[in-house]
Amino acid sequence: MKFKNIQLQLLMSACLLLFSCDHQLELTPAQGVEPDIALGSSTAITRVLTGAYSGLRNQELLGGRTILYAEMLGANNEIRWEGTFNQPREMYNKSIFTNNSYITNTWLRAYSTINTINNVLEVIDRVNESDRNRVRGEALFLRGAVYFELVKLYGLPYAAGNTETNLAVPIMLNPTLALEEVTFDSRNTVEEVYQQVLEDLETAESLLPESNGFFARNYVASALLSRVYLQMERFEDARDAANRSITVATENGKSLIDDYMSAFNNPADTQEDLFAIQVNAQDPDNAMHLFYSTPDFGGRDGDVTILPTHINQYEEGDERLEQFVERAGEIRTDKWRDQFRNVKVIRLAEMYLTRAEANFREGTSVGATPLEDINRIRARVNLPAKSSLSLEEILMERKLELAHEGHYIHDIKRTRGEIQDNNTDDLQYNYDDPRMVLPIPQREMDANPELVQNPGYGG
Amino acid sequence: MKRSLLIVMMVLLAWPMTGWTQSRTLTGQVISGEDNLTLPGVNVRIKDTNRGTVTDIDGTFSIPVSNGETLVFSYIGFVNQEVEVGNQNTLNITLQPDAQTLGEVVVVGYGSVTRGDLTGNVASLKGSEIANVPVPTFQEALQGRMSGVFVESSSGKVGEGVKIRVRGTSSISGGNEPLYVIDGIPVTSSGTIGKSNPLADINFNDIESFEVLKDASAAAIYGARASNGVVLITTKSGTSGKTKFNVGIQRGVSSPTRRNEFLNSAQYIELMRESGYNNDLANGLDPINNPADYEDSDLEFVEGRLDRYAGHTDWREGNVNTDWQEQAFNPDAGITNVNFSASGGDEKTRFYFSTAYDKQEGIMIRNNFERISGRLNLDHKVSDRFSLGANFSLARTETTRLPEDNQFNNPIQLVALAPITPIRDENGVLYDRPTTTYYNNLIDSENANWLTTSFRNINSIFGEYVFSEKLKFRSDFAVDIINQNDERFFGSRTITGQGTNGFGTSRWARIVNYNTNNYFTYTNTFSDRHQLEAVAGMSFQKTEDNYTRVDGQEFPLDELKTLESAAEIVEGTSTFTNFSFLSYFSRINYKLDNKYLMTVSARYDASSRFGENNKYGFFPAASLGWILTEEEFLRGSEGLSLLKLRTSYGLTGNAEIGNFDHLALFSGAFYGLEPGLEPTQITNPDLNWETTAQFNLGVEFGLFNDRITGELDYYDKQTSGLLLLLPLPGTTGFATYRLNTGKMQNYGFELVLNSANYADQNFSWNTSFNFARNINRVRELAEDQNSIPPSSSRFLNGIFIGESIGVFYGPNYAGVDPSNGDALYYSNEELTETTNDYNEAARMVVGDPNPDFIAGITNNLRYKDFELSFLFQGVFGNEIYEGGGGFYAANGDWFDNSTARQFNRWQNPGDITNIPQARLGTCNGCNASSRYISDGSYVRLKTFSLGYNLPGSLVDKMKVSNARVYLMAQNLLTFTNYMGWDPEVNADYLGSTTSDANVFQGNDFYSAPQAKTISLGLNVGF
Repeated sequence: MKFKNIQLQLLMSACLLLFSCDHQLELTPAQGVEPDIALGSSTAITRVLTGAYSGLRNQELLGGRTILYAEMLGANNEIRWEGTFNQPREMYNKSIFTNNSYITNTWLRAYSTINTINNVLEVIDRVNESDRNRVRGEALFLRGAVYFELVKLYGLPYAAGNTETNLAVPIMLNPTLALEEVTFDSRNTVEEVYQQVLEDLETAESLLPESNGFFARNYVASALLSRVYLQMERFEDARDAANRSITVATENGKSLIDDYMSAFNNPADTQEDLFAIQVNAQDPDNAMHLFYSTPDFGGRDGDVTILPTHINQYEEGDERLEQFVERAGEIRTDKWRDQFRNVKVIRLAEMYLTRAEANFREGTSVGATPLEDINRIRARVNLPAKSSLSLEEILMERKLELAHEGHYIHDIKRTRGEIQDNNTDDLQYNYDDPRMVLPIPQREMDANPELVQNPGYGG
Repeated sequence: MKRSLLIVMMVLLAWPMTGWTQSRTLTGQVISGEDNLTLPGVNVRIKDTNRGTVTDIDGTFSIPVSNGETLVFSYIGFVNQEVEVGNQNTLNITLQPDAQTLGEVVVVGYGSVTRGDLTGNVASLKGSEIANVPVPTFQEALQGRMSGVFVESSSGKVGEGVKIRVRGTSSISGGNEPLYVIDGIPVTSSGTIGKSNPLADINFNDIESFEVLKDASAAAIYGARASNGVVLITTKSGTSGKTKFNVGIQRGVSSPTRRNEFLNSAQYIELMRESGYNNDLANGLDPINNPADYEDSDLEFVEGRLDRYAGHTDWREGNVNTDWQEQAFNPDAGITNVNFSASGGDEKTRFYFSTAYDKQEGIMIRNNFERISGRLNLDHKVSDRFSLGANFSLARTETTRLPEDNQFNNPIQLVALAPITPIRDENGVLYDRPTTTYYNNLIDSENANWLTTSFRNINSIFGEYVFSEKLKFRSDFAVDIINQNDERFFGSRTITGQGTNGFGTSRWARIVNYNTNNYFTYTNTFSDRHQLEAVAGMSFQKTEDNYTRVDGQEFPLDELKTLESAAEIVEGTSTFTNFSFLSYFSRINYKLDNKYLMTVSARYDASSRFGENNKYGFFPAASLGWILTEEEFLRGSEGLSLLKLRTSYGLTGNAEIGNFDHLALFSGAFYGLEPGLEPTQITNPDLNWETTAQFNLGVEFGLFNDRITGELDYYDKQTSGLLLLLPLPGTTGFATYRLNTGKMQNYGFELVLNSANYADQNFSWNTSFNFARNINRVRELAEDQNSIPPSSSRFLNGIFIGESIGVFYGPNYAGVDPSNGDALYYSNEELTETTNDYNEAARMVVGDPNPDFIAGITNNLRYKDFELSFLFQGVFGNEIYEGGGGFYAANGDWFDNSTARQFNRWQNPGDITNIPQARLGTCNGCNASSRYISDGSYVRLKTFSLGYNLPGSLVDKMKVSNARVYLMAQNLLTFTNYMGWDPEVNADYLGSTTSDANVFQGNDFYSAPQAKTISLGLNVGF
């Protein structure tokens, strides 16, 4: 009998072993939080705002690629792509494949950043009142900046006209967090996207403070607005925006750096930087350094060579020539030489050039005369002052001052110029040539039936 | 080698004489229990010795014996019989016929059955059949030996992942690897650092048997994790009796199975100059015939590059012809294995103890694998009712690792360098860019270190209590601990450390997996006709994974390699993740009249991985079997010794998804050293396992006293609720969304044939053949979705309804326009129109990386003391895409060296060739297309072994019980038409996510060929 009792006890405890541990099924992740926490407090929402900057700084976006694309499309037989990567080479050859992974990733990154921004804007009322305008201003600035990049890359230029019918990119203004919120949107027109950019940036300008570390500031929004207006050929607005930017920036200690080459390869924002993508060993992405630098400075093999056709355009004694150095067997530009250095987005010099050009075109002298602004740029690089100016001279000064920083192609597009092919002498691309517009990525065409492909990319 | 041999010999000689006396001679006769006729050719051996004889034509034998020894009578098709020698001088034996396969014990989930009672499909392999195969992981050794089990090593890099597919690929985005269960414990088989393979920690000399549970009846007891099949591994245990020792040593040399042929210097110069010159001609320049055109011409550019690549030499003189490919291979590749085991025990306590040392010097430079392992399996009978035991194993593996295939420091990428480039400069320093076209990764050999060390501890304890003859309870608890450290240092000369005075990484991972199984087993026989066995219980498993990584740079000297010396810490991270499974299971086996069989099983699984609306899943299965040869109408029928029909149907699941995929999450995203958050995934509270409904119909047969046995199975696996990463419009902020949708089907048949072709006193010959045809079809994706097209610009794999998973989809290369050398693509699906514009090319399915069928055939021959065994293994009907083709097979598009085939490029109007005109930098045909697809079928002499058992007289003199010397070769011959290196390939870097690993199949991207190894070995038992 006794034995049987023990057996029974054993049997019962064995049975108990079989039924336990249900609570062990509720595990929580250690590297992520659910939206109720991430969007649940003012502090958390400001973290999401920083997350939007994190999206923006990715190398697929302002961390270098948007500049790289501009430089490849605008190579103009002044630079040569020699690297093995086919993605930049396709842009360089103006023969882009719709499955180009860079183009795909830039698209995805742009919209994931926009989604992060839209999440912030959706719950902006939860942000402490004292921070709310700034947070909203930064979010709108970032959204305007991303849409501006998108419209320039994936749509025909504004100057090509037909802005009400030419297609740009879908405008997304609401966040997506659940499958029910997924929508299939068609492309908005160039005009609609430009209007959205203007609305975002103008509101941002009015909300942003003058001082905000390396994050968006009021005069940064003005500066970006001046770029948008230039693309739209609204020179008066461009002039005024550039002037506002210069006025507030200089009041806040911004000025041109005496030595031109000291304005580059900086680990932190300089007095000349209005806005730069922060790069350091923790946020290492700088796609321009990667391709433009050489192995001795941690770059790839030196994928871009600067050709004599470019260098010959500088006047003798121009200190900007110091950037051209032979490394890894070819002439390179040292603007992107060092690793872990900020990616310049807007330098003060650009504002002077924009104000000069816009004043010149409008026959005004808001802030300064065109000659004063241009000579300010020339004096810094040890060039003699000019006594008179033409539009061509202003544009040439702009081209050389901002060379290899992603401006030239966009200036060609708005001034209705053309780009010389590198391989074929008698081949030029007109400013509105569809080959200088990126295709809508094939993966996006496949995922969204509402999209229409850009002309020249197989429909 | 010499020294270790010597040590072994000394150990052997020092072993005390076991001391037997051959007192007398025993004679007798053996007859068959089937027909009472005498049996000639029966093996008569004295157990645990090498002494023995064979019965003569009258079935009689005579053998010297001493009292207390045991005689073993064995004959093919009959049950072995053991008789202890008493005082008798004569002995007559009746051997009972045996459906040998019927009596074999097969391990199944939470128990074992005799093969004859099995109603599911289970492939078995004895550990002894793969003993001494010179590969690092048991997975590789299984290749070609089990029907329906597809095994592929991604490349010849040692210690990396091995892909196993049981009856095809059932998931698109979830895992497709089987569940590995060692001695009842589901072990960690993935998730370690980089590409390291946690199963390489297992010393497969310790393995007694492998069982692969293939159909639903066999696998469903593993529920939500059984869809991909279950590999049950049973380690060796001791047997009571005299302690037996085994010592083995083995040493071999390895080399690549295949090489690829590249241009020599003269050819390279010719092609590159032509490439530049063709551009010039197209631009109306002729720099050769019109020197004024030379300046700024592409020819000038090319020659400038050739000057650069020639370093201190002059390419025009043609003195340098570097074979860069050869530099990637390790001339000292080879294997070493030393192992020792002891087993024995008494009636109460039994043990198996082993230790082993394995070393593989990989065929690639900088790639070695070393494993030291030990095991103790112990069980003890406390009383008639209670027994307990423990299995302890510990292994240390050290791997000097290589980067992924797409990295410049992957050795094979050396083939891209120009043959005109000398390896070193005048001072003996390795050339680097700009002299070399790309990074000369031989610098890594001098200036980098990469070592992964892994400690693996799989321990389990168990107790079993017998309540009565009919009811027992077993409980086990196990931990599987992986502790892994990965240390990398790239010196100041390497591509990785160049800009930063060196770059170092230290990574640590600890994966702890707890598991407990608790279950009752009830057996009873009613009315002599109804045999019943029932199992019921629960199991719980939890895995916790900690990972830490620190990266640093700016080292004072290349000699100082640990991060203590790094001036700048650039990354530091730690992560933690976990998952759990709680399961209840039951199985009932029922047998009526020894001929009607039925099995019903079910498992109820819950996991932390599933969404809150679907935490629990139910996985039932049932099967029936009918042994026709037990029926009156077939009993004793001529020639037919076994005929059994079986069928099964059931549900299994696949839960190999991310641990928290069901949640909407925001994760850390910092900027400018400021903390931030960004959304990373969308919620799906309904997310759960994928469900596979599998039907199986099989027939087992034995002919001529089981001289020929076989199994033929048809199966149909229908997987639904696929855990699919649905492409979303990127405009939503996300690229993909995971949900249960879509269907996939795998169906096909498997054939196993075993034949004892011949057996007599001196010679025997057995053949075993397996064949499997699997047809994989994607049946349904998400609503309104017909395809998931290729997501990469370099590779072509996509998913299309009605096609196999991962088919190659893209432009169909139409060859070369004979009039102008343009690469052409078909512009319509009917293949009637062509275009030279890649963007205008019609995209279509152009190949399939899934094999049509796989097969293996093993022959074992024995002549006296010699044994010969060879396995041919084959994979048929699959295609391989060469992702590197756009670089090394691009008709001189850029300065990468080209394969020799590229020399046959189009040169003049009218040339008929498949290689377009060389044009520098214009990508004339270099884009991803069917141009880079070739047939990946192959047949390999996978394993070849020749062994010699030292004859009894010699063995006696050595005072050992047996000794065997052997030659063992792996991958000795490969027959294939594949254009790249080795057809057993899959570029490793494409499998960084599970769904990528599933879809990106059959790609070669500078992937290392497999190793061909020839080894010699010695095994001694005493």
